[in-house]
Amino acid sequence: MASVETLSRPDLNQSAPLQTVMRKLAIAWTEFEARLETTPLVRKLNRGQLTLEEYQAFLCNLRQQVVEGACWISRAASNISEDYFELRSTLMQHAHTEHRDYHMLEADYVAAGGTLETIQSAKKNIGSEALSAWMYHQASKPNPFALIGAMWIIEGLGSQKARDWGKAAIKQLNLPEDAARFLIYHGENDVEHMEEFQQMLAMMPLDDALIEDIVTCARVTGRLYALQLEEIVHA
Amino acid sequence: MRPIQPVYISGTGAFLPGAPISNDQMEDHIGRVHGRAATVGRRALRWNGIETRHYAVAADGTPSHSNAELAAEAVRRAADSAAVALNQLQHLAAATTQGDLLVPGHAAQLHAELGCGPLEIASFQSVCGSALMAAKSGFQAVRTGEARQACAAASELSSRWFRPSFFEGADLTGRKGHVVLEAEYLRWTLSDGGGAIWMADTPARNGVSLRIDWIDIISLAHQFDPCMWAGARKADRHDLKQSWSFSGPKAAFEAGAIALQQDFTLLKAIIRAWVGVYLQKVDEGRIDPASIDHLLVHYSAQSLREEIISLLENTGGMIDEARWFNNLKTVGNTGSASIWIMLDALFGARDVKPGERLLAIVPESGRGLVGFMQMTAVGPDGDV
Repeated sequence: MASVETLSRPDLNQSAPLQTVMRKLAIAWTEFEARLETTPLVRKLNRGQLTLEEYQAFLCNLRQQVVEGACWISRAASNISEDYFELRSTLMQHAHTEHRDYHMLEADYVAAGGTLETIQSAKKNIGSEALSAWMYHQASKPNPFALIGAMWIIEGLGSQKARDWGKAAIKQLNLPEDAARFLIYHGENDVEHMEEFQQMLAMMPLDDALIEDIVTCARVTGRLYALQLEEIVHA
Repeated sequence: MRPIQPVYISGTGAFLPGAPISNDQMEDHIGRVHGRAATVGRRALRWNGIETRHYAVAADGTPSHSNAELAAEAVRRAADSAAVALNQLQHLAAATTQGDLLVPGHAAQLHAELGCGPLEIASFQSVCGSALMAAKSGFQAVRTGEARQACAAASELSSRWFRPSFFEGADLTGRKGHVVLEAEYLRWTLSDGGGAIWMADTPARNGVSLRIDWIDIISLAHQFDPCMWAGARKADRHDLKQSWSFSGPKAAFEAGAIALQQDFTLLKAIIRAWVGVYLQKVDEGRIDPASIDHLLVHYSAQSLREEIISLLENTGGMIDEARWFNNLKTVGNTGSASIWIMLDALFGARDVKPGERLLAIVPESGRGLVGFMQMTAVGPDGDV
């Protein structure tokens, strides 16, 4: 077993497998982003046509997903063996950082004219159900390294999309900025998460089979996330 | 079917009208909207990194050239460079964002200007990517044996679009009475020029020619709304039944539907999509970054280059920066003409040797498109 010292702060000096997985994940991201752009909800948001009801429904669904987020990361951490102690530690910190985030979403929802009771009691739509089931399924495996593909997609949403979505929503709906704090806050914080992400990848035993699993997990997650949005506003 | 014929770029031509115009001169040259200085100007220039550019319209509004004339001069220079008489030309493909006339196409005006022929023509109207569409037309014509000598020209007379008369009286005013950023930024970025490549079924008798290995053009328009457009207001540009010609030119102008505009939020997603297509080509083995000796990327801004480089370094897609060649800083962004003006300048700046591989990349924000052209340098006998 490698010591904690040798596993911590791995050299990011771009090993070939790390570059390969980053390349394939970048391709998976653009595939996902292209699909997102064509979902009715994002199309309406981009075109300045989103209604308040649709924005509220979006926040409701997001809340149910975010509540689960910290939970599946925790479950994944609990399934990481001692050989990857540092990775487990990073996941636990990550879960801790995120596990109160949904409170912010609830406050945003109220600022957007909704009631706390409505958002707290909202059911997941079928896309969110599928996404959540998939995440727990992955997180329940021993050493669930592939799950980092799902994190790539979720983190990417934070760093690349959330801020623009939040800004666009409050502008077109004439809402106060505190009706989109979750989206705007994520856009401002997730750059650090992306660096942490590369560090986590570098801690994994990257071989061709694992790279394939990671990329497949990213693609499935992206598809299910888009399904979640498709179920909020139908074509 | 005739066998597939190798196609060689046996000459290149570039034409930039008039004297270079510096950053300090440019606003007075294209004109101030409502007589006022634009607030985004300095910021735009810092972002795009352009220091000098050329305009085919004088400061007083008098044109020195038409768009067709810019293309024609580039074609004549390409023919000279290939040492072929213009009357040998059999296929003429012309690219531009907007020809001199709305109708007919740019290739017809260019052909009339050249005066050679009769010959086959093809017009390609898009944005920057139209250059490669025209190149592919000439490439296919020679490759299939339908033509022995073909020319692909690309030209832009963007500065027409940036005169104050395109904005004054139009609903394009943002905060504090300035032109909205979507329309203003491009005034500081695009300028005029023409470029051309001459394609033949044999290499040039002297010097180095470029064998075209392949041209791939990938449109992503099914995924995105227009990102750089003219002919619609920003708010309803996705709905073509609201575009300029339905309301008529006068009403469309007043509504702000005529000016050339860019959506910067959407551009960020489109840049990621371009890089995604490139990485896909690397992943499939179509592009081998380590094998490229000269890389020519048409990017519209220096800052964009830096953003893309960090992404490529993380993903094993990077081509050594010493192999990049670009002249954006001194000739400006001439849209579709840029890639040929760049290729022409490469031969003056570097000693391109037989056996070396070149890759040209032309992204177009229009509605999301990216094109690639790989070439291999050959000597007069066609050997590498």
